[in-house]
This record gives sequence, C-alpha cells and structure tokens, in this order.
Amino acid sequence: MVFVGPSGCGKTTSLRMINRMVDPTEGRILLDDRDIRQADPAKLRRGIGYVIQHAGLFPHRTIEDNIATVPLLIGWGRQKARQRAHELMDLVSLDPAMARRYPHQLSGGQQQRVGVARALAADPPVLLMDEPFSAVDAIVRASLQDELLHIQEHLHKTIVLVTHDLEEAIKVGDRVALFRPGGTLAQVDVPDRLLAAPSDDYVAGFLGFDRGIRRLSFFPASALNLETDTVVPDRTTVAEARRVAKDSGQPWLLVTDTERLPRGWISTAVLEELPAAATLSQAPLSGYGHTFRVASDSLRAALDATVLSATSRAVGVADDGRVVGVTSYDRLRTAIHAAVASAPQETTAQETTAQGTTAQGTTARESTAQDGMSAS
Amino acid sequence: MIWSYIPANAALIRQLTIENAVLGIVPAVLGLIIAVPVGIACVRWGWLYPPVLSSTSVLYALPSLALFIVLIPYTGLTDTTVIIPLTLFSLCVLVPNVVDGLRSVPEPVRQAATAMGFGALRRLVQVELPLAIPVIIAGLRVATVSSISLASVGQLIGVSSLGYLFIDGLQRDFPTELYVGFVMVIILALAADLVLVLARRLLTPWQRRDARAELRVSVRPGTLGEGVVR
Repeated sequence: MVFVGPSGCGKTTSLRMINRMVDPTEGRILLDDRDIRQADPAKLRRGIGYVIQHAGLFPHRTIEDNIATVPLLIGWGRQKARQRAHELMDLVSLDPAMARRYPHQLSGGQQQRVGVARALAADPPVLLMDEPFSAVDAIVRASLQDELLHIQEHLHKTIVLVTHDLEEAIKVGDRVALFRPGGTLAQVDVPDRLLAAPSDDYVAGFLGFDRGIRRLSFFPASALNLETDTVVPDRTTVAEARRVAKDSGQPWLLVTDTERLPRGWISTAVLEELPAAATLSQAPLSGYGHTFRVASDSLRAALDATVLSATSRAVGVADDGRVVGVTSYDRLRTAIHAAVASAPQETTAQETTAQGTTAQGTTARESTAQDGMSAS
Repeated sequence: MIWSYIPANAALIRQLTIENAVLGIVPAVLGLIIAVPVGIACVRWGWLYPPVLSSTSVLYALPSLALFIVLIPYTGLTDTTVIIPLTLFSLCVLVPNVVDGLRSVPEPVRQAATAMGFGALRRLVQVELPLAIPVIIAGLRVATVSSISLASVGQLIGVSSLGYLFIDGLQRDFPTELYVGFVMVIILALAADLVLVLARRLLTPWQRRDARAELRVSVRPGTLGEGVVR
C-alpha cells in the first residue's frame, strides 16, 4: 500500500499512526485484528519495521550494529543478532566489508539500504517506509525501488510506503491511496485502475497529463506481435538482403551477428548502393539504440525505445540480449489498442476505507479510519 | 631565575601540583555528575532551561574568593570550601554543553530510535548521550582547565595548591618561585586537557576515523607532505 499526495496532506501522519508515533483522535487501527492502542508502544514498534528518508542510522554504531538494533532490543544476544545483520546485508546487496564501518562512511544509497536492512532485521510482518528513497538521486532511487520489489517477492511483508512521487507510487504499489490536501482520501485503487479511471478532477490532475502513457507500464511488452522477417544475420549477402526487404515491404532491416545479438539498422536505400555480392558484415549500419526486454519490460518501455529510435522502430531482446524481433508504431498501436480494450475501464466509486490492503500473502492488516481521517 | 630552586624543592612542587590537580579535577567531575541530569531535565522540559542558564551564569559572575569566605563558617578551611564554588562555576559551562550535546542529536536519528521501540530511558542512554559525548567533553575541557587555574586562589584561605608558590614568591620577592608555579599550572592544565582529548577519541570511535580521513585530505602534495619529505 502506498500513500501518495501533496506535502502536508497527512500521509506521514497517517503512517505514524500505525506504529503509534502519533495517536489518532478518532477511529481505530487494527493490526492482526487487534486495536493497536491496546499494545505497549515500544513493543508494538519492535514488531513494525520503520524506514525514513535520511535512513536515520545511528552515527555511533557500526553498520552491523545498526542493523542488529531491534534483534538486540528483543534479546537475541549479540552473536545471533550480528549473524542476522550479515544475512540482511546480503539481502540488500551490501558488501560484507562494510559491516564494521560507520554510517557516515557510506553513500546515501548505501545508507538507505542499511536503513531497509535494519527495518527488516527482526523479520517484522509490517514495514513502514516514509519517503524512503527521496533523498537519493534518480538512478540510485530506481535501483532501490527495484530491489524493494525484489525483496518483497520473497518476503511478502505488509508494506505501507509514503511518497510524494506518483511515479514511485505506481511503480512499487500494489494499491495506491491518493490523499487530498486536508488529509482526506481521494481514491484508493490498484495503480492501473487509478491511471485508467481517476475518480475526479483532483485525482486526474495529480496523476498528470501523461497518465495514459504511464498506464502503459502495466501492459507487458510480450503482448506485441514482433516483426521477425526483417531481422537478418550479418553473413547475409546484399542481394539476399534486398530480396528480404522487398518481401517484407519495410524500409529498414535489423542486422545481427551470428549470436543473434543486434548490430544495427540498414536502410533499403543503403542496400541499393552496395555491391550485390558483399555480405552485410562490412556494411555501414545505423546504431540500434535502446532495446527493450520482451519478457520483462512493459509496452511503455517498448514505446519509449521506439520514440527514441532514429528509424522509428525498436529492438525487442530476450533476457540474454539476443534479438526476439522488431516493433514499429503500427505494431505498438495494435498492441496498445488491444491491451486497453481488454482492461477494466469503469470508474469505481470513491473508496472510503482501505481494508485488507497491501501485498498478497500477508498476515497483518491495517484499516485506516473513515475518509475524514484526521491529519493533525 | 635560579634553577637550583627546582631540584631543591622538587618534593614540595610535586605535592603542590598533586593538590592543585585534585582541586581542579574534582570540581569538574562533580560538575559533570550534576550537569548531566540537570541538562537532561532542561532538554526534557524546555521551560526549565532559561532559568537554569541564568542561575549558572549568575553563580559564575560571583568572585571565587567571596564564595570561599561565605563558605568558611560552614565548611572551614578545607578542600571542600574550594571545591564547592569551583563545582558551581563548572556548571556554567557544563550545563549548556550537555543541553547542546543532546540537542545536536539529529531528529531523524531520534525518531528512528523511537520507531524501533526504544523507550525514553534506553534511547537516552544508548543513543542520545553517546552522540552528545563530543560536545559534553568539549565543555568538560573548559571546565577542567578553568578549575585547575582557579584552584590556586584557594591558597588565599590557606587551602594548599600551586597558589602557594605565587603567594610565597611574592612575599619573598623571589620570581623563580612565581615562574615555577606559573609553568606547573600550565603543564597541569595541558595534561588534563590531553587526557580529555584522548578520552573523547576512545569514547567516540565513530568520529576518530573521520578525523583521520580529514587529516589525510589536508596533507596534499606541495603543502605539509612535501615539507616532510624534504
């Protein structure tokens, strides 16, 4: 579950109600069907992982001791806690050599990984993340988001993440709760539906002018019917290539090496100028640009690669980099049309409760109070 | 300067130095013991801090000799008469430093500690106080050095310290004695300061590496490094 909204809309306040850093003025929050107000705050918090913007690591403790904080608090003993810390460093892809370093010796991205590891240390069923990736640069952020998704695939935690970045909300959220200024919920939905059917003008405005394009991230590139007859190995002769081009009626051929890795584009115009008996291995080729992965990327990535390509076509590759086929605007249009037509379109009623939210296979469950959840 | 004075009176100088050290260090330590809980209370209840700060400043403004004299009826011509005022003086530096040290703990760190299930006491002992150590020790250095130098004033009410050398030297018009006393006070103060610097390095290993890294950066070719090579 991701809470997203403009600053001051109460998303962080709502998050902090879950671990009782803030007590709600009305309404109840249930965790495993128990009202959290009946729990001792310190004990409750030890069972809820918490990650914040600047990691909030303890500057005076080594990385391993930072990660081992909660295990030590709940009395695991130093040996076991340290061992657990090392396991977690591995999980979040941190070099074991960093175990004895202090937080200030790490980069922002590495500190944030430690923050995530620390939150996961005692294996809490619930993880709260407050703008966890907003203090790092875009590239590091993307890799941390990917890693979070990867970790979640294995751990199946109930994660509540706060962000002001809609892109992030849509990328990492199973469900997204969009807040209005003043602390009321505007819409709670799965990301695809949020983009397809915003409940009102506020939601549509927050989603931005390119929500249609963003929505393409939810349709797999494998839906594309890729062109394969215009892909030729570089041992092909020019004469043969001219015939292939003619048969396909396409202006560009994709040349690959013998391993079927892409080498570049060649146009029919260039082919006409080359000696018929030569092979394509020496021919002048245009760069093939960005590729997209057919199995794991979305239609959005395929469209993006096509827009960026000088030939208005993009290369779809398998995970090992070998060419699967080529897409063009025509083929994209067909695939997008089919995907959008088959997706649910109806506008859903504005949801006022977010119950049984978050990731699949979880035990914990939080139910936020009524729509008018207090933000103070 | 009559150098022979020094070996001839080595035993006396040593004894006075030790007495002066005790009169300087004990108030600083007592001051710390008082300042930590007072500082914690001032951070916990913010309204407490301004009156506490004014009180310690007013105390500091009182002349030490006047305080000694006020105390004589109660504690006599003993070490205690000197130690009490010096302890009060040290609070003027130590309380603000404890407060600043605790307030220097970054908010995200404090919140992370709370969110991970630290109770208030555990958070104070395991997170806030360790992080406040550098600022607290900085205050302790000032308090210790000033106590060591002020302790000699106690000689005026007959409490033995290096101040003896000043008074005796003045009365006998014997400058060597004055110089020896002067140098010994400085050595004592520097030694105490050095011990505290070392203590800070020992207690804050997370900062030590930082200092080393900074040092490495500052030794660039063409500056200190090259000078050493030559």
